[in-house]
Amino acid sequence: MAGTGMFPLCLGILLMILSVIFILRILFQVKEEQVSKEAPNTSSESPIQLILFLAAMALATFFFNRLGYPLTSFLLMVALLRILGIRRWGQNILISVVTAVGSYFLFVKWLDIPMPKGWIGL
Amino acid sequence: MFESLQHLISGFVIAGTVQNLLYCLIGCIVGTIIGVLPGIGPIAGIALLIPATFGLNPTSAIIMLAGIYYGAMYGGSTTSILLNVPGETASVITCIDGYRMAQKGRAGPALAIVAIGSFIAGTLAIFGMVFLAPPLAEAALAFGPPEYFSLMVFGFIVLSNVTGKSLLKSLMMAIVGLIIGTIGIDPVTGDARFTFGSTPLLSGIEFVAVAIGVFGIGEVLVNVNQPSELLDQGVIMPRLRELYPSLQDLKQSLGAILRGTVSGFGIGLVPGPAPVIATYASYMIERKVSKHPEEFGKGAIEGVAGPESANNSACQAAFIPLFVLGIPFAPPTAILLGALLIHGVNPGPLMISQHPGLFWGVIASMYIGNFMLLILNLPLVPLFANILRIPKRILLPLIILFCITGMYTVNNSVFDIWMMLLFGAMGFLMRKWAYEGAPLLLALVLGPKLEVAFRQALMISHGDFGVFVNRPVSMVFLLATSIFLLFPFIRMLFKKTMKGGF
Repeated sequence: MAGTGMFPLCLGILLMILSVIFILRILFQVKEEQVSKEAPNTSSESPIQLILFLAAMALATFFFNRLGYPLTSFLLMVALLRILGIRRWGQNILISVVTAVGSYFLFVKWLDIPMPKGWIGL
Repeated sequence: MFESLQHLISGFVIAGTVQNLLYCLIGCIVGTIIGVLPGIGPIAGIALLIPATFGLNPTSAIIMLAGIYYGAMYGGSTTSILLNVPGETASVITCIDGYRMAQKGRAGPALAIVAIGSFIAGTLAIFGMVFLAPPLAEAALAFGPPEYFSLMVFGFIVLSNVTGKSLLKSLMMAIVGLIIGTIGIDPVTGDARFTFGSTPLLSGIEFVAVAIGVFGIGEVLVNVNQPSELLDQGVIMPRLRELYPSLQDLKQSLGAILRGTVSGFGIGLVPGPAPVIATYASYMIERKVSKHPEEFGKGAIEGVAGPESANNSACQAAFIPLFVLGIPFAPPTAILLGALLIHGVNPGPLMISQHPGLFWGVIASMYIGNFMLLILNLPLVPLFANILRIPKRILLPLIILFCITGMYTVNNSVFDIWMMLLFGAMGFLMRKWAYEGAPLLLALVLGPKLEVAFRQALMISHGDFGVFVNRPVSMVFLLATSIFLLFPFIRMLFKKTMKGGF
């Protein structure tokens, strides 16, 4: 009687019902012309920054195993810091090196947690 | 009762070992730092550190994670007072009067009263726990699958109702969480569901990935999306005129602290984001009880002392349903439940008898943790606040690195990192469109249990759906749920008829 698919099915139906109610509510609001429109705070958002940020993270994840932990974390930090606007390369590289080396020692050496080695062999 | 005291003493012995004291201290420090960092809340913090506890025995692990929970609460208050930035949801109320006090140069007394109030509240709450937990565990033994199901449904609905602005949206998030929870192997029959032939998905979606993704990475992304100038901000720390509260302050706050403790404890036992509700309730109580209510909103110290004490005792009390029933009623306790399961401890009515060392050890460590935090916070607050001076440009990448690293350590799986990123993107959209993450997370953790309870109940009753209503305890919960759901409608109808019809 209560098969494998029953629970997901019930959940799906519930979600559909709620979605319909949601849509109806929005339609009603438009009709009643509720003035309390919460205007989103879009004072010059930076979607480009966001997309670049996500892309950097995705790339890092993709190469995580191949490049190994220390190298990937270094490159990721460099990329993210640059995207967020750290223009001076000196400062950027310094922070990235300190972070990558620091976290390597913290996680791999001190806490003994296995991290991917990559072709550098670290 | 005496038995409980005996157990408590043995708990102190366990918690008092140098090893466990050290773990407690580490947890408290890390927790405070996490609480101080805006964005990463106790949820992501605890989730990130679960992997670090793998080598430890369950007791030490939970002691450390509980310390993080607490520390984060303290840390969250610090940022609320100093920056008007609530470190996490339960600190929102503290912002109101706390920040005003800081602006008047009274940040020192505000922070101190938080520490003192929380300490007193924590101490009193522990006694409450000692005496309530064992009897509650016995009562919980009478719970069968139908009761568990109805209780969980009640918990979901209450949690969805209280978080965020829209019950409907939160309910949708809860259901989405339940659906995500079905991915993987069916707990009852063993069939694979929604795995699309992929091996990593067979074990379901790692809840740590969802937790860190939605709450940690999501928050970072929200920050990244903001205009570039805001990224230069770190912290601007107002000068501290006085460091410690005056006698006058203490006298004024004492009542608030005691009231907060009691109300917080009661509220903490109830499902839902108890600490948050407790702070709101305490603030309202203090305003009503106060002899100078105009002060509130301008820097009344009771407005900080009361809510913070309530917060602390609610956190303590939230551990009771977690340990006794095995049901987490608030998102941070949901993570703790996950941690317990990972370590092979199954919380529930039997936990106290099966793992007395763990239970009483953790309770004792909470007290010790409170003490540690009191000592840590009073002098070290300026130090912690300095972390916030780090401009967001640098802080955000650091957080990301930490998230990715921590995620990997859970299962050594890059797949998990992808999941975390995916939920991070989802978390961002959820923030933007005002959907709450807490119901989703709670649903993800409770989903399998909910389903098992549901199917077991039906198996017991041989397919008769009446089983949920025929058993009195179960019926009570379902009734309460319906009342909660219908309450807004009833109120609306009432208003309209009062105003003279439609």
